[in-house]
Amino acid sequence: MKISHQTFHLSILSLAMGLLVACSGPQVRYGDAKQIETVNADYGSTDLQMIAEAMTRSLLQSKAISGSKDAPIVTLADVKNKTSEYIDTRVITDKIRTQLLKSGQVRFAVSISEMQNQTEELKRQNQSGLYKNSTISKTGNMQGAQYRIEGSIASIVKTNKDVKDVYYVFNLNLINNESGLIEWADEKEIRKTATR
Amino acid sequence: MQISKLTVLCCASASFALLLGCASKPLVQPEQAIVGQVPADPPKNPVINAEALKTESKSIAVTDIYFKKEGKNLTYIEETRTTTDNSTNSVITPKVIEVDADKANASALTGGPNSSALPVKFTNLADPSATAPGTAAPPTPVQDPAVPNSASTASSANTQTQKKSGYQSNIEYGELRYLANPIRGLLIKSGYKVVQAKPSVATPNQGDEYFDIVKRIKAGDFGDASYVLYGVLAEISVTDNVDDIPGTKSTSQQVALEVTVDFNVVDTQTNQIVASFIASGDGKEVRIDGKDNNFKPSMAKLMKLASLDLAEDVRTHLADQNFITNNPGSAGQMRNLKRRLDDDPATLKVYK
Repeated sequence: MKISHQTFHLSILSLAMGLLVACSGPQVRYGDAKQIETVNADYGSTDLQMIAEAMTRSLLQSKAISGSKDAPIVTLADVKNKTSEYIDTRVITDKIRTQLLKSGQVRFAVSISEMQNQTEELKRQNQSGLYKNSTISKTGNMQGAQYRIEGSIASIVKTNKDVKDVYYVFNLNLINNESGLIEWADEKEIRKTATR
Repeated sequence: MQISKLTVLCCASASFALLLGCASKPLVQPEQAIVGQVPADPPKNPVINAEALKTESKSIAVTDIYFKKEGKNLTYIEETRTTTDNSTNSVITPKVIEVDADKANASALTGGPNSSALPVKFTNLADPSATAPGTAAPPTPVQDPAVPNSASTASSANTQTQKKSGYQSNIEYGELRYLANPIRGLLIKSGYKVVQAKPSVATPNQGDEYFDIVKRIKAGDFGDASYVLYGVLAEISVTDNVDDIPGTKSTSQQVALEVTVDFNVVDTQTNQIVASFIASGDGKEVRIDGKDNNFKPSMAKLMKLASLDLAEDVRTHLADQNFITNNPGSAGQMRNLKRRLDDDPATLKVYK
């Protein structure tokens, strides 16, 4: 009788624990956004951060930017993805742009991908007839960029039974729009090896 | 008590004296002396020396912008002559095509290519409404030796038809009265007195002597002006272009009025050209998706923008050639302007 009482108590405890675990659901926790991510050898957040940081630092030291009296006006052009992976290259250039703007040494004109919104806003203000003339942002006063930033990202991937080796090279150029001269260029290489 | 009153009086007198001393104006040099101490910006052009730049004594007349418009009237005449027994009846049917000189040279009538592309309108001069005042007079057919005679003769027993072609030059002289005022304005701002010039009227059969500015100076068309700024229109054009805006679904319609004018500044005493340049101005209106909405630009607005832009270009060239030594808004320009207003007896002065 004593044993059966003890067994009954243990059963109740086990059941309660089981219910508690069942109700707790998936675990969520915040991590450090800058933490090195090594889930696999594919392009990841650490690669993005490394590329953006290296390129921004190098670009700010370039003669075209650091030697300019006024902050030059730059625009973003294409960064071509020549890898076999899907990489949103716009995220890379946006990150570089943010960091450059924060430095205060560069001003950015809207890029081609942002022109639709810019055009619609100008059209709304200038052609709807709804706005006070003195407050209108007038058509024809947009500033042209002196430079454009364009580049590419390419990769070489090699795998065998146990190892996957990925080599990325990110290339960025600063081109003078008027002269067509490449005023600055730099690259960032990344090698990642995954073993089983 | 006696001494105390005397002391009070002395103190009061001393206080009054001090008060008067403080209230009196500080010693200030006359305004003219101050202006005289600060010279105008030194000129670099040897023709216009510092004395010449004392703008209170210098005046300038600005003509309206001269133009010469050359055109050619192409003529095409059909003459039908009917002969019956002893009498002869002749019916002449002339037609005139008014075109620009360069387009006339490309016409088929003169043997040139692309005649079908000419935006010309035939005017039948036999029609009284077509020969109303303002239209070209019936031309005398001129047989151009360079032009192959396109005439063909179709003879019959009694009727003969003859076709002739040729062209007549038509040159028009005049003044554009709406481009020069911003230029006059900038000269006033720079400290010059601007004199109103008499208008120049083209005579019948006017030739290029219309541009003889020295003749007009001698005729006293510019009063007592020290200089005459005159300009001759080189070209005026209106363009209307539609382009895609990259990265959008929209187009941009750009309507622009552009003027190019050849300018000279002549010293009326020596007839020397003291500044010479070509200036241009454009007025532009941009409309997003304008073509889709049949946008019609305001020519009045374009003309205003073009004339202001032209004046700005004139200012740049005059400053380059040191005719205007003081840029608008500069200290030197303000001194010149102030001196002119101070010394000009015709200036309205308000004293408070």
